Amino acid sequence: MFKVQDLQFKYPKNKENTIKGISFEIKEGEIFGLLGPSGVGKSTTQKVLIKLLDQYSGEVTYKEQNLKSYGKDFYQEVGVGFEMPVHFSKLTAEENLTFFKKLYKSNADTDELLMRVGLYEDRNKQVSEFSKGMKGRLNFVRALLNNPKMLFLDEPTNGLDPKNARIIKDMIKEFKGNGGTVLLTTHLMNDVDELCDRVAFMVDGKISEIDTPKNLKLKHGQKQVEIEYLENTGNNETKKAFFDLEELGMNEQFLELIRTKEIVTIHSKETNLDDIFIKVTGVEKNE
Amino acid sequence: MNNILVLFTGELERMKKYHVLGASLVVSLIWIGVLYFTEISDVSNIFPLLLYIDATSMSMLMIGVTMFFEKQEGTIKTLLVSPISKAEYIVAKALANIVSNIVTLFVLYLYAWFFKEIDINLIGIFLAIVIVAFFHSLIGFMLTYYSKDFTDLLMGMMKYAFVMMVPVILETFGLISNNFIQKLLYAVPTKASMLLLQASAGGIEAWEIYLSIAYLVIGSTLLYVIVSRKFDEFAAKESGV
Repeated sequence: MFKVQDLQFKYPKNKENTIKGISFEIKEGEIFGLLGPSGVGKSTTQKVLIKLLDQYSGEVTYKEQNLKSYGKDFYQEVGVGFEMPVHFSKLTAEENLTFFKKLYKSNADTDELLMRVGLYEDRNKQVSEFSKGMKGRLNFVRALLNNPKMLFLDEPTNGLDPKNARIIKDMIKEFKGNGGTVLLTTHLMNDVDELCDRVAFMVDGKISEIDTPKNLKLKHGQKQVEIEYLENTGNNETKKAFFDLEELGMNEQFLELIRTKEIVTIHSKETNLDDIFIKVTGVEKNE
Repeated sequence: MNNILVLFTGELERMKKYHVLGASLVVSLIWIGVLYFTEISDVSNIFPLLLYIDATSMSMLMIGVTMFFEKQEGTIKTLLVSPISKAEYIVAKALANIVSNIVTLFVLYLYAWFFKEIDINLIGIFLAIVIVAFFHSLIGFMLTYYSKDFTDLLMGMMKYAFVMMVPVILETFGLISNNFIQKLLYAVPTKASMLLLQASAGGIEAWEIYLSIAYLVIGSTLLYVIVSRKFDEFAAKESGV
């Protein structure tokens, strides 16, 4: 869908490039996560991809055609879901959506979308009366109202309760299921783990890692199993033991331990995306 | 529906909901008050002066107000990723602004028609308002681009008013008699605006009318090109994805 080759970008007032030669591809029908701490160039990359910045070097293609060659019709098939509210507060949700729908050739059934996200009953309320979570859900509906093929989502579940976050995540999966492509930016690694097919970690204007969440976990995790067991002494002391996952079934020490000791917990030592985020981006050092 | 029409009607709807049109009508009532308290019965000469203030300062202010609402509420971001061109955005906003000025014209004209004496070329003043308001709407865009906040915008407008508008008003009232300054005023767009509006009441030389039209039309064209180019910078700054 998108191919980015050696993308570099410098803001006019900056001394050095914000984007320092990144290359990646967003494949059609995948959910691609763009992750990293604040200020590393994620937003700038998104701005380039949604054609808000065009003074870049390198090559960006959309559907194998230079992005710069697209006119305003590019937005007919693109939906952008912003993190912050982007609606006219003195208009109702319905009035907002009706206004924006008129700008597109293709329109989704916004009543159905409002029902899905639980805003249908509130559609005639002014947006100023909406809570933060309701505004976030309305942003999501706004992003979908033109039946886009490509969706850019910035923290789509931010500020939502678990029930509504689940609804939004299910809708993103459905969008993908119907052939849609998504570029997702979020700090919630559980969302990334659940939704993304591939993720790219950005650090200081460069991509430091790009792979599937599963491969990243395998790469950065330890291939070990941790066993917590009770020592058969008078005070029931808890002890830990670690074993390599490789040929675990042949490991006599391991087999002896699980045969003879009372096991309290047993865990494989694979890592999670939170840990990978910290490790790859060095966020603890920088922020 | 054509995008300009969608944006234009949307702009008018929001001007109503955000009470911007209401504020414009209140200003019209102030001008009616001025006409009411003036002792002269034939208001043909004072009429263009009131519309001069309205079509220049209100045009700049309205653009600033609506754009600051869009910045404040983040709606500018979502407009920037909609299938509209910057030309459609700029023109629709300016047209909605002109409508507000035209409403003021008709409110004032109706009052003058019923309660005072007035003899002006209505079509002439209508066209003059369109040209003057469009030019000053573009000035409003420029001021908004370079204003950090609403106070900054008001300061910019005040500077424009003191440098460009007030000297022309003083000259109109005969308070500036220096020949050099009078000639110098032909260089400012507000003088061209005043002449064009006054032409509807008569007493303006033909060459002054042609000069004013040429000034404002060419000025608007050049200003439009600058506003359009600067819009990209503004868009990049406001997009904040």
